[in-house]
Amino acid sequence: MEPRFPDPTSLGLLLAVAALPFVLPTVTLASEAVVFATGTLSCSLLLGGVGLLSFGQGLFLGAGAYASGLLLRDAGLGTAAAVLLSTLGAAALAGLVGFISVRRRGVYFVMLTLAFAQMGYFAVLAAGRVTGGENGLTGVPRPSLPGGLALDTPGAVYAVLAVLCLSAFFLAQRVLASPFGSVLAAIRENEARAEALGYGTRAFKVAAFALAGGIAGLAGAMHTLFLGFVPPNTIQLEMSERLIVMAIIGGAGSPAGAFVGALFFVVAAEFLAELWPRWLILIGLLLIAIVLFMPRGIWGAAQELLARRRAAAVPGLAADA
Amino acid sequence: MSAQLLLFQLLNGLGIGMIYFLLSVGLTMIFGLMGFVNFAHGAFYLVAAYAAYSVSLLTGSMLWALLLGPLAAGAVALASERLLLRRTYALPHEAQILVTFALSLILQETVILVFDPLSKNVPVPDFLSGIVFLGDFVYPAYRLAVVGVAAAVALAMWLALERTRFGAILRAGSESAEMVSLLGVDVGRVFMAAFALGGALAGLAGALAAPLRGVEPFMGLEALGVAFVVVVVGGIGSFAGALLGGLLIGVVQSVMSSLWPEGARLMIYAAMAFVLLARPAGLLGRA
Amino acid sequence: MPEPPPLLAAEGLGVRFGDFRALGGVSLRVRQGGIHSVIGPNGAGKTTLFNALTGARPPTEGAVTLAGREVTRMPAHRRARLGMSRSFQVTNLFAELAVRENLRLAVQAARGRSAWAFWHAPSRLPGVAEAVEGLLSLTGLAARADARAGSLPHGGQRALEIGMALASDPKLVLLDEPLAGMGVDDVARTKALIRGLAPARTVLLIEHNMGVVLDISDRITVLARGRVIAEGPPAAIRADPGVREAYLGSTGAAA
Repeated sequence: MEPRFPDPTSLGLLLAVAALPFVLPTVTLASEAVVFATGTLSCSLLLGGVGLLSFGQGLFLGAGAYASGLLLRDAGLGTAAAVLLSTLGAAALAGLVGFISVRRRGVYFVMLTLAFAQMGYFAVLAAGRVTGGENGLTGVPRPSLPGGLALDTPGAVYAVLAVLCLSAFFLAQRVLASPFGSVLAAIRENEARAEALGYGTRAFKVAAFALAGGIAGLAGAMHTLFLGFVPPNTIQLEMSERLIVMAIIGGAGSPAGAFVGALFFVVAAEFLAELWPRWLILIGLLLIAIVLFMPRGIWGAAQELLARRRAAAVPGLAADA
Repeated sequence: MSAQLLLFQLLNGLGIGMIYFLLSVGLTMIFGLMGFVNFAHGAFYLVAAYAAYSVSLLTGSMLWALLLGPLAAGAVALASERLLLRRTYALPHEAQILVTFALSLILQETVILVFDPLSKNVPVPDFLSGIVFLGDFVYPAYRLAVVGVAAAVALAMWLALERTRFGAILRAGSESAEMVSLLGVDVGRVFMAAFALGGALAGLAGALAAPLRGVEPFMGLEALGVAFVVVVVGGIGSFAGALLGGLLIGVVQSVMSSLWPEGARLMIYAAMAFVLLARPAGLLGRA
Repeated sequence: MPEPPPLLAAEGLGVRFGDFRALGGVSLRVRQGGIHSVIGPNGAGKTTLFNALTGARPPTEGAVTLAGREVTRMPAHRRARLGMSRSFQVTNLFAELAVRENLRLAVQAARGRSAWAFWHAPSRLPGVAEAVEGLLSLTGLAARADARAGSLPHGGQRALEIGMALASDPKLVLLDEPLAGMGVDDVARTKALIRGLAPARTVLLIEHNMGVVLDISDRITVLARGRVIAEGPPAAIRADPGVREAYLGSTGAAA
């Protein structure tokens, strides 16, 4: 079925984001969840929306994190301006990387995104005098928002992160349920056919890549606000991989899946990492199981279950489903 | 940069480049044969490097390490193919990528589980620990040996590709896997052999690299990135492309490490972007 | 009587795949408002010709002009904007999307930049919904509008394919074996549909069903082994001994 906006999951997301700090053991964990949900969204928007598997979203998340850190600390910008500028900057970077990468399709594209993600990390190391190299960017301030809202408590930080996260999700839902989004779906289903219809598919893919890069950059800026410093692992390949893992576990078919996947991963990390430091082995096994047996992820499986129940309850619908 | 230093770095680049070639050739071969991109390829390199480290620690012999490291990687590759990867041949590329990526994550975490996350030095074999005089030019013997070993392997591979039945199947398979199955060859066995061989070659790269760079758990991931650069630059599916790409990237990295040490590894990715803009199919790739 | 300039013209088109010459020096003039068919035995190069004409696989030699404009190297999607549209021989749909959405995407493609709108629902593009409904009834797919395109029976998928080719309201429609695999009822309906396209539109048709081709074409070009061996109105083609020989000699199957 074609996506709509707003749909019931829009409301669900709103409620979930509002409830998280009260449901999870700490507000910090809730903050981490919404930051990674936003980053994961950039992956699932590409994979679920356009059919592009990107191992490079960590590059844009990292770019957003470093840009916001430098703007806040060295350029003395306010929080709102820093977040906005680093989001746009990451989108521009993604537009450039996308322009080069979409020249190749399929597996070549995936390899290129991974290579560019590595490039970003080495660029940060090479520019160590600006970025702090291996030590990261420390001592990033959190200036008050316009209107005097101080970001001096975890709760206040969470409120800001929650608003940013929801904005990204609603934007993604809006875009997917638009003429532009329908072209992305057409490219995902059959790119050659979309091109034959007259769509300049490359331009659409670059635009989608820039949009997803902007969302990843926003997640990076949120990460900086959340931590108050920028560790180099925000731009390492592991970040890109983590975002992919979250997207696949949750299910890349819809933005809601990204939220579910990130929440699952962040909570699992919190509890499993204490029990067994090598818990990523379990995540690896889970990933394999999901790809082989549950390709639509946790959220996709839940939706199917729900649809089957509804169909069982209303016999007339079963025939069409 | 003096001529002396340039020569030194060119030779270094040759050595690194040959390691990159060994690392990438299996990846490109498996891709050519079955359109399969193996994200666990770097993990085979990692496994071999740690196996070499352990063997040299236990026996004190780096020679055994160089022998057993690739064997371990080949065995892991073979087991992965039998137990897991063959189930994904019929799935879309994205699923194959994700499964092999998950496998690499599992292997990497297992390495940390067995050892620890810290990096370790691996000794250069005693008999290669000295230096070699080339006229009035001095060069470490081990680095020269790396070039020699890798060149011998490359030559042997080339001969095998040209002269043996398995080589003929590989070459035919990289054109069209269907054709190979029409020839009455058991494609499943060819795939299995290609994985084992590709894994062992990546393993040889890992074992050779271990004394040069030490071992640490994330070296596999870094190697995967480098291997992608090599095949994108050289043209994926091409044996000669892997050699050319590997050498080019090795030399760029090595020469840059004298000019701009912090940016040396950055430049290999810049080189990739440059090649890609000029020749999207890679230097020796088919469009 | 001076002939009006052709809507589509090919001059000396050749296509090589390595050493194999799939098409050698084919010239073709498609007059405005007619139904022009290309026939020929299997492997004659018909689909290769289509691909060269539409830009899906540009020719290695020769030139293509569309409404007097040289388009030989123009990418497929830009030719589409000039009023050329095609259907595919191998059914080529958005199989996971609804029938209606397939048509809607095709209609939307013809609206140029409005497909870039990302701030409102697709249904808010003016005129699109009406055009989609029109195509649904034209193709007889109205009852299956909400089914997955991939779930349609073969004939339905072929009809959808034609519907999508018509969505841009093209001046020139290239139909690649639109009747292949259709049942008798579907053939009759589709034949009427194609005949009804001209003279408002120009149709270039590849088709194996010789009865239909001879019945509805204004002009027929016969290809064999990558070359034109005959061209003329149906009656002349029917009587041409060279055509008979090409068919009987190479495939042994008469039309």
